[in-house]
This record gives sequence, structure tokens and C-alpha cells, in this order.
Amino acid sequence: MKRILLIFKYSPKLTVGVVILLSLIVLAVLEPTINYYRLNGRSSTEIGLFDTFLPPSREHPFGTEAYGRDVLSLLLTGLKYSLLIGFTAGALATFIAVVLASIAGYKGGRIEAFITTIANAILIIPSWPILAIIVLFVRKVDLLLLSAIIAFFSWAGSSRQIKAQIASLRERPYIDLARVTGFSDLEIMFKEILPNFLPYIFVGFSYAVTGTIMAETALRLVGLGPGDIPSLGQFINWAIYSGTLAQGHYLIVISPITFLILTFVSLNLINVGLDEVFNPRLRQVTGV
Amino acid sequence: MKKSIFSYFINRILLYALIFVISLSAFFFFINLVPGDPVTRYIQMLEQRYGLSTPASEIVIQKYKEVFGLDKGLFERYISYIKRLLFYQDFGPSFVAFPKPAIELILESLPWSVGLLGTSVIIAWVLGVILGTIIGWTRESKISSTIFTTGLVISQIPTYLLAIILVMVFTFWLNLFPMGGAYSAMLQRSFSLRFIISLIKHAFLPSLSLVFVYVFGTMISQRALVISVLGEDYIKLAEAKGLKSFRLVNRYILRNTLLPQTTGLALSLGFIVNGFFLIEWIFNYPGIGRLFMMAIREMDYNVLMGITITTMFCVLTANLIIEFLYPLIDPRIRRG
Repeated sequence: MKRILLIFKYSPKLTVGVVILLSLIVLAVLEPTINYYRLNGRSSTEIGLFDTFLPPSREHPFGTEAYGRDVLSLLLTGLKYSLLIGFTAGALATFIAVVLASIAGYKGGRIEAFITTIANAILIIPSWPILAIIVLFVRKVDLLLLSAIIAFFSWAGSSRQIKAQIASLRERPYIDLARVTGFSDLEIMFKEILPNFLPYIFVGFSYAVTGTIMAETALRLVGLGPGDIPSLGQFINWAIYSGTLAQGHYLIVISPITFLILTFVSLNLINVGLDEVFNPRLRQVTGV
Repeated sequence: MKKSIFSYFINRILLYALIFVISLSAFFFFINLVPGDPVTRYIQMLEQRYGLSTPASEIVIQKYKEVFGLDKGLFERYISYIKRLLFYQDFGPSFVAFPKPAIELILESLPWSVGLLGTSVIIAWVLGVILGTIIGWTRESKISSTIFTTGLVISQIPTYLLAIILVMVFTFWLNLFPMGGAYSAMLQRSFSLRFIISLIKHAFLPSLSLVFVYVFGTMISQRALVISVLGEDYIKLAEAKGLKSFRLVNRYILRNTLLPQTTGLALSLGFIVNGFFLIEWIFNYPGIGRLFMMAIREMDYNVLMGITITTMFCVLTANLIIEFLYPLIDPRIRRG
């Protein structure tokens, strides 16, 4: 516990990132309760619950939007779904990345070359149009399927991050020791390499979460994907198509964008912070 | 020496050709394994939209499946698709603008995208490298670390969200910039000053939304590279020799960071293009990003396939060009 506190004291970036991200997660988790009391049990997406474009007031801190819905409750619902898809897809992508990177980094040789080529191809090629076409063509997309499709195109970045680290771990003496002792490849991977590796996996995970939320928001922004999952991207899409900007109600568009940017920035601050803490060489040169 | 650089070029061309063929094939099978076929999907969309009668459309679907060769097997379709692509550069006709070929629509919009994206990426990259080198070199100063922290935040904003903010502030609120198009509809295409000003005015915001984010993205990676080079012994030697700062930064630091930095650009191009599709859509800029969104709305299968394959091809070509620059940057590659 004391060590954890020390880490936070050591890296202000990590602290700020964790605080913002945790606040967002808490808001998302409390969403059902908050919205239940604020809307008396009605759904936040129900059309015509209030008058349209009410200015911010005590009852509606962010006002209401073009379809007469309370902006604050829509924001919270949106945040919940955006984070949910981000974390689901991010976890899936990280899982794929860790498995493939472990195999590549540990086995080396031709298998590594093959996996690296595939990962690089996915990185180099603009994958968003492909993603968009698939989501357009698949009739019924639910949250899990959408996350899986997005994860399929998002693992390459994390895998690159993770693989470089595994390759360096492979050469450590205690791995040789384990090998001589007669551990199997799988045992070495999961018992020896993985535990030393958790901070890097988290970095890979947060990259993946950022990537997947970005991709999901981009899809929903242009009106693709499941209409019954009101994520923040969907919210911005509603706002843009209902002429909110032309009528000058900027707050309605700015607030979901702010939530998204806060998510991305906090995840990145955590990454940079973790790097500062777990990468002593960098700590020395940057002098933070 | 000449021979080794020649084989380097051949090697790269073959590698990118291979990546292109593999991704193209993967993409084709991926899309075709999704249940349903493009013609049925398109007609069903029309039915829903305009309330057409179903029995009549059954016949139409059958007819069109024959015309488009969709009644054949998956593998047969793949071979004929590749053949058409290789020998005739043909993606088939557009559904919406039938019988206009999809390739014609794409070629009309491609120059706009390549021009705007190319200019923006080069501006952002050059500025980012310069800025990153400066704040890496002066990393202990307060200003540098402030710029660095600000950059950390800004580089995380997705370009398309910034684009929405820019449209909101500069077009809707302040009314400073025009909305939509590549130039004013009142003007004819010409080399007049008025036309060029209109062109720049329309390109400014879309370009800014990309440049603003990527300047800071490049700056951050450049700073890290500079700092890692600063730890090397040859820098200490050069400093001890009493080399002037400018020469040291220019010849010793910048040169050594340029190769990894260029690789970074090559790897992030695909990601930049992803965001650019949305930027064009938001600004209604007449490039392939907007064409793609229109094709999405109309379920125009051939145009969608065509745009994706064209973008793949363009990005891979850009990567190839960047790799062709490597020997210029790094003498080690030149000598093999």
C-alpha cells in the first residue's frame, strides 16, 4: 500500500490520469442510479420527455437537446456505453495481442516474422473503412459483436508495444534457469514472463481502449452500428443531424466531446506515468 | 555499392506488393463472408426506403446477380475480381450512379484527398520534428516541460473531434470560414488569385484539425528520440570537442533521430487516413472520405470496395516512397 502511494507521489501524471479515469468510471457505474432519480425512472433516451433546447437550469444543468431529452442524463448513459465497449473491445484486443506477442517474442524465428508481418500490415493499412463496411453489412450488431469486430482491428498496436518487451525478457538468466529446470514453454510464459510483465500489459490495454473507443465513436458519429446502444458517438451524431450547431446550442456538442477527450487524455497520462515509474532509464534521462 | 541499393529497392517493392495482395485478398474474403450479397442488400435498402413491392424485386435481384456475377462461387468471384482489378483497374459500376464506373467517381475525388492530406501531413511532421528537437534539447527548462505536457494532452484528441470543434467555433460561431466544398461554388476552376484564395480558405480548417494534433504527436516522439540520443557517448565527445550547438543538434542529434522518426510516420499513415475519412465528411470536403460516406449511406458496394482498395494502395505506395528515402537519410542502408 505504502509502495503504491509512493508511486503516485513519484509521478503526478499517473496520479492525474488515475483520478480522471476513476471519476469517469464512477460516473458511468452510478449512471443507472443517478438517471433513475433525475428522470423518475424514465429512460434517458426517451424522446419528448421535456421541451426541446431548454437552456441550462437547476433542473437540467446542461439543458435539453433537439428531441427534448436531458443532456446530462444522455451524457452519462453515453459515457457508460462508450467505456463499456472500450473496455470490452480493449480487453479482447489486449488478449489477442498478449497471446500473439508472447508466442512471437518467445518463439522468435519464422513464427515471429509471420506475426510481425500480419501486425504491421494491420497497422499500415487504413482499417477504419474496412471496419465501417463490415459493420454496415452485418445486419444485427450487438455490443459484444461490435467490440469483437473492433478488437480484431485494434490488437496490432498493443502487440507491437508488448512484443518488444517480451523479446528483452527472453534473454534474462532466470528464464534460462527455468528452461534448464525443465519447465515447459507454456509454464515459462505464464509463470515467469507474465508476472514481470503486467505493467506493460496494462500499457497495451490502455492503448487498445483508446483505439477502440476512437474507432467506435467514429463509427457511431457517421450513423453506423447498433442504434439501440446510445454511446457518446451516437449522441454527437444525433446532435449534428438535428441541426444543433446551426441553432447555436454549442454546449450540447461540446460536452460529449469533452468526456471523450478526458477519457483519452487520462489513459495516456496513465501510460506516460507508468512508463516513468517502471522504466528507470527513462526516469534518469528525462529527470522527472 | 550500386548493386546493393538496387536490391534494396527491389526488395522493398516486392514486400509491399506482397502486403498489398495479402490485405486485398483478406479484405475481399472478409467482406464476402458476411452473410448476404451486395445486390440483395442494396435492393432491400431501396425497398425499405421507398416502399417497393417485394415480388418484383426478387426478379430484379436475380437478374442483377447474373449481371454482377454473384451467382458464381466465392473463389471464382475472387479470381475474376482480381483479374478485372489488375488488367483493367476496374471496380465495377457504381450502384447509385449506374452505369458510371466506380473508378471514375474515385479518381474524381482522389486528387483532393491526396493534396490536402499530403500537404497537412508534411507540414505537421516537419513542424513536429523541429519543435520536438528544440524541447528535447532544452528539456530542463520550464517552458519546454510545459509545452511537453500540453502536447501530451493535445496529441490525444482524435482529429475528427477537433474538426467538429473547429467547425463549431470558426464556421458556425465566428462565421470566419466557409462550410463545405473545396472552393466557392461561385468560382470557375482557374489559376486566378481569387480562386486560389478560395481554395486555401476551404482547405484551411480540415488541414488545421489534422496538423494541430499531429504536430504535437510528432513532437512527443521526437523529444523521446532526441533524449535517447543525448545519452550517447559520441554526443559527449562532440560537446567536449567544443562543437557549436547548432552543428551538434543538426549533424549529430537530428540525423540520428530522423530514421526512426520517418519509420514512425510510415507506421502512423494508416491511422491518419482513418481519421481523415471523418474530417472530410465533417467539412464536406469533396475527397474520397466524403465519397465513402455517401457510398455508405447508399450501400454502394462497388464504390465502397473501390475506395478501400484505392486507399490501401495509396497508403502502401506512400510507405514505399518513404522507404525509398531511407538510403538518403541513412548511409548504412546505402552501403547495404
